Amino acid sequence: MAKQKLIDAYRGKRTENAPWVPYAGVHCAFLINEPADKMLKDPKLLAKGVVNAAKRYHADGIPLVFDLSVEANSVGCDLKWWGDNVPSVTTHPCSSKTPAQAGLKLPTRDSGRWPSLFEAAKIAKPQLDQMDCALMGLFCGPLTLAAHLAGVRIFTDVYKNPGFAHEVIKFSGEVGAIAAGFYADMGCDIVAIVDPVASQIKSATFKEFVTPNSQPAIKVIHGKGKTSSFFICGDCTKVMKDVCEIGTHGFAIDEQLNMIFVRDMARKYNVGFGGNLKLTLALSLGLLSPREDAIVSLAAGGNIGFTFAPG
Amino acid sequence: MAEVINIDVLTLDSVQCAACGYMMESIAALPKDVQEMIVYTEWSIKHKAGIGKFLELKGRVLPTICIERDLVFESIIPQYEELIDEMAKRAPSQKMKERILSLRKVGFEFDKIAENLAKAGSGMRTRVDS
Repeated sequence: MAKQKLIDAYRGKRTENAPWVPYAGVHCAFLINEPADKMLKDPKLLAKGVVNAAKRYHADGIPLVFDLSVEANSVGCDLKWWGDNVPSVTTHPCSSKTPAQAGLKLPTRDSGRWPSLFEAAKIAKPQLDQMDCALMGLFCGPLTLAAHLAGVRIFTDVYKNPGFAHEVIKFSGEVGAIAAGFYADMGCDIVAIVDPVASQIKSATFKEFVTPNSQPAIKVIHGKGKTSSFFICGDCTKVMKDVCEIGTHGFAIDEQLNMIFVRDMARKYNVGFGGNLKLTLALSLGLLSPREDAIVSLAAGGNIGFTFAPG
Repeated sequence: MAEVINIDVLTLDSVQCAACGYMMESIAALPKDVQEMIVYTEWSIKHKAGIGKFLELKGRVLPTICIERDLVFESIIPQYEELIDEMAKRAPSQKMKERILSLRKVGFEFDKIAENLAKAGSGMRTRVDS
């Protein structure tokens, strides 16, 4: 376990070998024989699950939660809880109103599930420090949060109703900046914007809506001396250049991208990159050997700015 | 059964993956009159049947919306009008095509999303053993 090695890799630096981050998420609950919903609602169980997963997988860093409903819930979205998955957002308060018209307020430490996360971090952080494992804070990026707030219409609004889309996504970026600050205050060494749906839009749309509305959070993370990253999912080839240019220390991608393409992009922009052990094909389904997949990923990633992680 | 347009949504898992979730929601939020003309299913690649469907439809990326077995929206969440147009192109009859196109200005509706997602099996078959 090597926290500094992970931070160096996230910042695009050369490391002796690639550090490793399991995005354990609700798998932490499985490992301690608890349902996901119970663990996520109970700070003591959450801390136990995260520390246990870090120990079991010899992690160099581990997220406190990998749950993109936290921010939406903290500003008023309802959730559906699952025993074997993260909660899903079930209501969209901005489906016909702007955040101001809907009366949405920026979250405080007392909003939604934040008190529980602060409590869990307080328990987990010293134990992770003892293992030399970084605590990571992952929060919902501006476009994904805007989709939670407004529903799927946001993907039409960015073209047909850009004024409305700008209001919702700007508010989402402000919520993200507050979440980033919360994670930094919890002692997270690395704080990442996680915007999975940002892969599902065109490059021009990314530049107009995602890039500017990620800046408030990036400013907060860097202002607090923390390391930043931008996590994106799916086939994000069309926005890969925009991701490299967004201003974070690095980025992380999933199994659908070619690691050599990603590595070369990261090196060109001198940023860190993480991925991409195949989450479905190898880890979930076993259609590929996870061991061989790991060897391929490690060989392609190399040891400059690369973090080995599921993708 | 009356004529319908078949839609298959290939996903990782619409609960865990936000992109997959909003691909599903783009169909579930189609207005009532469109809902009457479509049948749709989520195929999570975490489930054996989902892998089968992915291979059968020759899927290339996740998530993908397939309309009448064509890979139409691959890693791009569609706008409302784009969805209407692509469904209309593949409507089984001229009458249905005209009916769908007449709904082009209606827009998404959010009041029945949960019910519609449940009907499509969204989030229900996302484990190998489910």
